[in-house]
Amino acid sequence: MSAETAGPETLGHLSEEPKGEDPGSSKARTITGKSPMRIALGRLLRDKIALVCLAVVLFFVFIAIFAGPLQKLFGVTTETAFPTQFLNLDGTPRAEFGPPYGGFTWDHPFGVAPRTATDNLAFWLQGAQNSLQIATTATIVAMLVGVTLGLLGGFLGGIVDRIIGFVTDFFLTLPFILAALTIAPIINERFRDSPNYPTIQVIALIGVLAGFGWMSVARLIRGEVLSLREREFVQAARVMGMPTRRLLLKELLPNLVAPIVVASSLMLPAFVAAEAGLAFLGIGVTTRPSWGQTLNQGIGFFDNYPLYLYQPLIAIVAIVLALNLLGDALRDALDPKTRR
Amino acid sequence: MFAYIVKRLLAGLVVLTLVSLSIFLLFWYGPSEPARAMCDSKTSNRCSPEKLEVFTEELGYNNPWASEFGNYVGGIVTGRDITVAGQTTRCEAPCLGLSYSTGKPVWEDMQSRIPATVSIAVGGASLYLLLGVPIGVAASKRRGTVADKTLVSSFLVISSIPYYLFALLVFLYFAVLYELPFVGQPGYTPLTENPAEWFGGLALAWICLGVFGCTAYTRYSRGAMVEALSEDYVRTAKAKGLPQRAVVYKHALRAALVPVVTIFGIDFGTLLAGTIFTEKIFDINGIGLWALNAVGQKDLPIVQATALFAAIALIVSNLVVDLLYSVLDPRVRLS
Repeated sequence: MSAETAGPETLGHLSEEPKGEDPGSSKARTITGKSPMRIALGRLLRDKIALVCLAVVLFFVFIAIFAGPLQKLFGVTTETAFPTQFLNLDGTPRAEFGPPYGGFTWDHPFGVAPRTATDNLAFWLQGAQNSLQIATTATIVAMLVGVTLGLLGGFLGGIVDRIIGFVTDFFLTLPFILAALTIAPIINERFRDSPNYPTIQVIALIGVLAGFGWMSVARLIRGEVLSLREREFVQAARVMGMPTRRLLLKELLPNLVAPIVVASSLMLPAFVAAEAGLAFLGIGVTTRPSWGQTLNQGIGFFDNYPLYLYQPLIAIVAIVLALNLLGDALRDALDPKTRR
Repeated sequence: MFAYIVKRLLAGLVVLTLVSLSIFLLFWYGPSEPARAMCDSKTSNRCSPEKLEVFTEELGYNNPWASEFGNYVGGIVTGRDITVAGQTTRCEAPCLGLSYSTGKPVWEDMQSRIPATVSIAVGGASLYLLLGVPIGVAASKRRGTVADKTLVSSFLVISSIPYYLFALLVFLYFAVLYELPFVGQPGYTPLTENPAEWFGGLALAWICLGVFGCTAYTRYSRGAMVEALSEDYVRTAKAKGLPQRAVVYKHALRAALVPVVTIFGIDFGTLLAGTIFTEKIFDINGIGLWALNAVGQKDLPIVQATALFAAIALIVSNLVVDLLYSVLDPRVRLS
């Protein structure tokens, strides 16, 4: 393609190059024929806020994946033998084990928890792991459900669309915290004595999160499909007699990648926040470490041990904020209408 | 219009029936031994399998679910007698069952908790509008200025922090570390008992809820006002020489408020359905905290009653919004 044609070049030029560049220079020529994804990536890489957010997110992902080895590296575990040896009579940690009364020690880089004397760093690392694990799984499940229902509703229309629409609206009216509140005691009652109770609790939590997260995706995808299905390439595929399944997966789905990516990157922080919030209330994860539990424990000791409460709080705020801003940046980068 | 209202009411009734049925079924099939908690509390934790069987029979868990659902609904409408461990308790309408831990009708406790939740919801929701709309209108009038941009981006950051962390920090700094003047220790005192204490105990919760919630309303009303101010009729009003204030508040704001009111109705319903985080953090004895404590005690009838209450609050608020919308927005044609 020559540099004079309008279209992708114009877009590439505006988004990639400083104005006033000679259109015939080698730089200008190399950008011709970039795919939309490459353009989006280029935009994202020039967005400083997005890069900082990406670094924060990657940091937490790294921590979550290597929580086990990192604990070994620092020589800390969540298991504490004889908690009383670490504690003063009022439940706060003794000075030789770090804050609030003592200084930094390598034995317990984050200090130890009041009352239980669990090592804070180990708990925090495992909390990060559980939080991201649950949020990521819930996002994947919610995406699968939402995209499938959105595709079907938007493409098939008619009675299928109306039923899916009704179910979507129905779920949208139910408050998610109350659903979690309702389901938590039932799961507890039924599986309390089962050896798999921790796993079942996590699965139930993922189910609740995903069960109340898919609706926005379904609506979004349905809307996109409604406009896509009238486009020529879809009609051409139909005329050629392409089966519906193939049409949905091979023609429509690739065109929905951008909204799906943006929606997942905005759903993830919501789930991280929700997971910690439920654990804070005592109706989320109770059998494994979670940041929310530390928040709940920390309130009573905030007077003289604020650092204990701030460890999970800073982590949650950092990751939620970073993911939200990254999601916004992704949306801007992937949207061909925004030209910056 | 009348036909529309009837249609909406009927649809609301259908949804209400569906929701209450699904809540009932969840609590019917969910627990493996639904009578266990009741049995434990009545026999001081010495519940043998034989006793459990007696309680299961008494509470009706051996009957088909449909007839028990009929009983439950009948109890809500007319009240019923419930016999547990040979003791018959008269459960007045609306009967939502007996609490497993106290053995008293659930509604008796619930009645005393509802005012606290309603107080939080009304106060918080009014602040949504009282703070959010004026700030949004002011921002839309100064669109594009530094003040507007700062406001929009800082509100965006606040609203992406999870609410409970915001509330927690407000509580810790303004109630635990530094006490604000005019604001008492958070908690709930009935309005009829001591209005000053009622206000002081709830003030911090309201402020917290209001400041956090108003960010969204600022965004909505700013967006709606920006749109409205660029409409032709606003230009006409300006052209015919109306003062700026009349143009902004009488012409533009009225149109801009319609979508805001819609969202407000739904948000208010959500608040009524449960202000769990606010109640837990500020230790206010409302429905949310009550349900949360019931979860700890495995007191399923209380949780069930809360879920039902929340569903009713949400469905009714949705209904009211739909009806209001048709009145407020002249563009909505009902036929």
